[in-house]
Amino acid sequence: MTVGTKPTSPTLSKRLRPIIAGASLTLFTLLFLMTYLSPFGYMTVTAIKDRSMIADPDAPILPSREATFTYDGQEMAIYLVPTEDGDFNEWAMLKKGREESTFIDPNNPEAGPIEWVGRWRTLDRVWSISPVWENFSEAWTGLNMTRLLRNTIVIAVAGSIGTLISCTVVAYGFSRFRIPGKNLLFMALISTIILPEFVTIVPTYVVFERIGWIGTWLPLIVPHFFANAYNVFLLRQFFMTIPRELDEAAMIDGASPIRVLFSVILPQSIPALVAVGMFHFMFAWNDFFAPLLYLSTERELQPISIGIQLYNARFFAQPHMIQASSLLGLLVPVIIFFLAQRVFMQGIVFTGVEK
Amino acid sequence: MKKSLLILISLLVIASMLMAACAPKAEPVEEAAPAEEAEPVEEAEPVEEAEPAEKVKIRWFVGLGTGANPEHIPGQEEVIARFNESQDKIELVVEFVENSQAPDQLKTQIAAGDPPDIIGPVGQSGTNEFSGLFLDLEPYLGELDWDDFDADSIDAYRLEGEGLLGLPFAVFPSMIYYNADLFDEAGLAYPPQTYGEAYADGDPWTVDKMEELAMLLTVDANGNDATSEDFDPDNIVQFGYHSQWTDPRGQAAALFGADNVVDADGNAVLSERWRTAFTWYYEGMHEKSFMPNTTYQESDLLAAGNPFDSGNIAMAHCHLWYTCCLGNVPNWDMAVVPSYNDAGDVTVKLHADTFRIFASTEHPEEAVEVLTYLTGEAAGDLLQIYGGMPGRKSLQDAFFVGMDETFTQGVNWDVGIQGLAYPDVPNHESNLPNYAKAYDRIGAFQTLYESTPDLDINAELDQLVSDLQAIFDEVK
Amino acid sequence: MSTMFSEFTLKNLKFTREKLSKLARREANWGLVFLSPWIIGFFLWKFLPMVASLVFSLTSFNLLHREDIQWAGLENYQHFFSDPLVGVAVKVSLTFALIALPIGIIQPILMAALLNQKNLKMKRILITLFYMPKIVPLVSAVYIWQGVLNARTGWVNIALESIGIPGPDWINTVTWIYPALVMIGLWGVGDMLLYTLATIQGIPTELYEAARVDGAGSFATFRHITIPMITPIIFYNMVLSSIGILMYFLVPFVLKGPNGDPGNATWFYGMYLYKEAFAYSDMGMGATMAWMLFLFAILVTVILFSTQKYWVYYAAEEA
Repeated sequence: MTVGTKPTSPTLSKRLRPIIAGASLTLFTLLFLMTYLSPFGYMTVTAIKDRSMIADPDAPILPSREATFTYDGQEMAIYLVPTEDGDFNEWAMLKKGREESTFIDPNNPEAGPIEWVGRWRTLDRVWSISPVWENFSEAWTGLNMTRLLRNTIVIAVAGSIGTLISCTVVAYGFSRFRIPGKNLLFMALISTIILPEFVTIVPTYVVFERIGWIGTWLPLIVPHFFANAYNVFLLRQFFMTIPRELDEAAMIDGASPIRVLFSVILPQSIPALVAVGMFHFMFAWNDFFAPLLYLSTERELQPISIGIQLYNARFFAQPHMIQASSLLGLLVPVIIFFLAQRVFMQGIVFTGVEK
Repeated sequence: MKKSLLILISLLVIASMLMAACAPKAEPVEEAAPAEEAEPVEEAEPVEEAEPAEKVKIRWFVGLGTGANPEHIPGQEEVIARFNESQDKIELVVEFVENSQAPDQLKTQIAAGDPPDIIGPVGQSGTNEFSGLFLDLEPYLGELDWDDFDADSIDAYRLEGEGLLGLPFAVFPSMIYYNADLFDEAGLAYPPQTYGEAYADGDPWTVDKMEELAMLLTVDANGNDATSEDFDPDNIVQFGYHSQWTDPRGQAAALFGADNVVDADGNAVLSERWRTAFTWYYEGMHEKSFMPNTTYQESDLLAAGNPFDSGNIAMAHCHLWYTCCLGNVPNWDMAVVPSYNDAGDVTVKLHADTFRIFASTEHPEEAVEVLTYLTGEAAGDLLQIYGGMPGRKSLQDAFFVGMDETFTQGVNWDVGIQGLAYPDVPNHESNLPNYAKAYDRIGAFQTLYESTPDLDINAELDQLVSDLQAIFDEVK
Repeated sequence: MSTMFSEFTLKNLKFTREKLSKLARREANWGLVFLSPWIIGFFLWKFLPMVASLVFSLTSFNLLHREDIQWAGLENYQHFFSDPLVGVAVKVSLTFALIALPIGIIQPILMAALLNQKNLKMKRILITLFYMPKIVPLVSAVYIWQGVLNARTGWVNIALESIGIPGPDWINTVTWIYPALVMIGLWGVGDMLLYTLATIQGIPTELYEAARVDGAGSFATFRHITIPMITPIIFYNMVLSSIGILMYFLVPFVLKGPNGDPGNATWFYGMYLYKEAFAYSDMGMGATMAWMLFLFAILVTVILFSTQKYWVYYAAEEA
């Protein structure tokens, strides 16, 4: 017996081990993810709650609706009223009272109101799960979502293209060429993100006003064609991880610097480029102060961040609408992100190497 | 190679576009600093006369007060569209900026020399920071029907040395909103709806009486009210009273009489009755528990910041504009503000909103024309949107008819009209020396006493006064 | 002979040098061509506003009264050093930086390591989900956390109470506000996670294969190959997080308002700066605070850059 099983058991466990490892790892990650995203769960649950359920101290965590019974044209919530033998009657609440309440038996409404002595707050109600998807449609129309999406996508895509092109070129310059004073230039680059923008907003506004760009998309798009410190720095860091031997070899073959960029650097950097594109896209998606500043008079041109901000208004105070509108705003970025990260995964799929 | 060329070319094209865009105004260098600009007024007018086809653009900035909530916007856009259709001379352009963003946005525009022409609707507190920047309307308002306004309310907008800065547009008296269902549940009679009337049991309608009711209307999860020995203050599910959406000066003035924290000489003061007021609020939140503290106010139980509308507050003091944000409580009504002493004295704090014009406008006449349209012809529609009682007498009846269509349970709007007879003078939003800093200091006091149990409230009040003195002294 | 020889070498040397410097010039020129978009952009959009703000710091510029602008010399800077609230703000910001920075740097590495495990299933969905909070607009995110952390109705305390721990009042007490802010901060890790993953993807596979042949286990390869290879991105994160945390204030601002509550615990430097510049309209003082911050942050950045040579591994290191 033992002899017979010996040869098979190692292969079996060899086959099983990665599956078990994978399963437990995935399980652990899922648990971690659940904790990490629990606020997100709160957001989603809030977004599909009925307005009155949010503040109901007895309502379950999931979006629910209380079971009701219509009596005399009015909807009455159904409570579980204990009977003497330890069972519960499902009675509809006719009139709440602090120490005694009036119910009606939905199965026997003809019997008339029933007086019950006891505190209704200690009773449970009958709930059924009932997400209010209408919150989304309300936010969609309230926000004029189609217009906002169109505007945001144009601004974000144009800016991403500009950022990608310009930052790649500039980062290539910083990472591969010996230029006198390069370190100083690089510090100047970094310094542009060190100075808090609050103090440059007014003069920047004046610059754009002078060239007549207020009320247009230009201030939100064109500057991104001139590189920014975040992404140049990032790409430079990334390019620096690509060994020089590769481009030196290409140089010796007579390739021009532009050629090297395209044939050596870029093919190696696709994940980083996608990351930068994503970063800018998400930045533009949520960028709020600048669009508001430059497009405040042009509602037709405003991006989604401004629309959502209106829902976040201090005195609007409707948590379900705040979260429904924010979730709608997430939809497009999440889909784009999901598709774009195919690029990250390629490495793993093709090489099969755990890094 | 082709790709790289393409990219280089597109870069060049963009750069040249930019150069072209910059070319006409080649020196933004010196101009970028906010040095004085050439007076644009002189330039603008001849252009306008030469080309009558070109409409004058008047910019209207909404958000410093009410008006920029999502549900406010479509109605206002209709009003604007109607105005623009009726015009061949003026084009009204609006910008809606959410309330918390509005001051920064407006300041940036002002500092950059590109301010809007009209702002509003806006109350006293929204304009304090901008005082001194508004246009005197008097010279432009010749043919206005002055009799349609209450003389006192017009005078409220006349400032010495600055002239008439606004026209009464909307008044928002305050009142006690109460949730009738919660009174029924507790078996209590509703609070009175006429000033001077006693509560149902014959006791005078005072703050003490209201507190007595509020204690009975504060209930924990087991159904014990706040007067019960078994009451659990950590597990409250319903509160008796809340002063909703106001700052400490507002809270004090709401129930304890109109005073201010600054005297005529610019010194920081605190009246005895305001000291009583803050002690009352503090104890009500942390000792007697019939008012929600910060933690409860922010909780989902109180709709994360809209307490009365959660349905878990029995009585809330607020203004008429609170009708903006009521949608969850079916059977609410209004009651009168209780008196703060046995003599029956009462203060009904008042908000009044208007539109204002910046003195820097290039087109004062056109701006005034828009302003008279907004406070006149369009006022009926706008006031329905904002929930404000009309400043013009001729519009008031229509207003309440419209409100009844929205709130079908039958609200006694007369409570609001009665309240206009007891306005708070000085107003709880009146200007302070070094306004922004003083306002912040008062706000910090509010967070402190609303969120901190075991506070020596009297010591904190003394500290507040001495800090305010220092803030006032900064600008003396 | 000897002279001829020496002449020859000299000539040769000269020739080489000339050639080198020509090459170097050519390289520098190419480099400048590549840098030109940024240099042009810098002068178009950044330079003037930066200079203008420096000038503001020497004036009494009030946002609402631009016509009254007055030369103030170093008055704002004097006030900066005598204002006790500046001291509070500096202390708050530095304290929070000490708590939050290490977490902000280590967390994306750990998460990237986890998500990069070969055996992990559903990677694409997992990465998307981990990134998602980053896209939630700030104000909504703060509302969410305000709800989740509420001492009465929040999920965190409900969960804690279910295992018998009484939860604290996270956002209204001086003790718990920093842990709360750090938790909220963990949510914004998406970008760094993404960059770290992207960098890991770029590491040449041969390195791992070689290590595996040598018998190195998962942890050893992670420790000795992955970590050194991603030091450039760790460095990037370190620099940007340091700069970012010095200006941090928006989350507490939306969460607790503009007064540094509770106590003075959220009286961040960035908050005070913003308030001087906008809430108090005192752009002169705001710009002064901004430039003082600028000097400090530049110093930090320069120091960080000078440490690079000790721990950051660049495959393309310049000779």
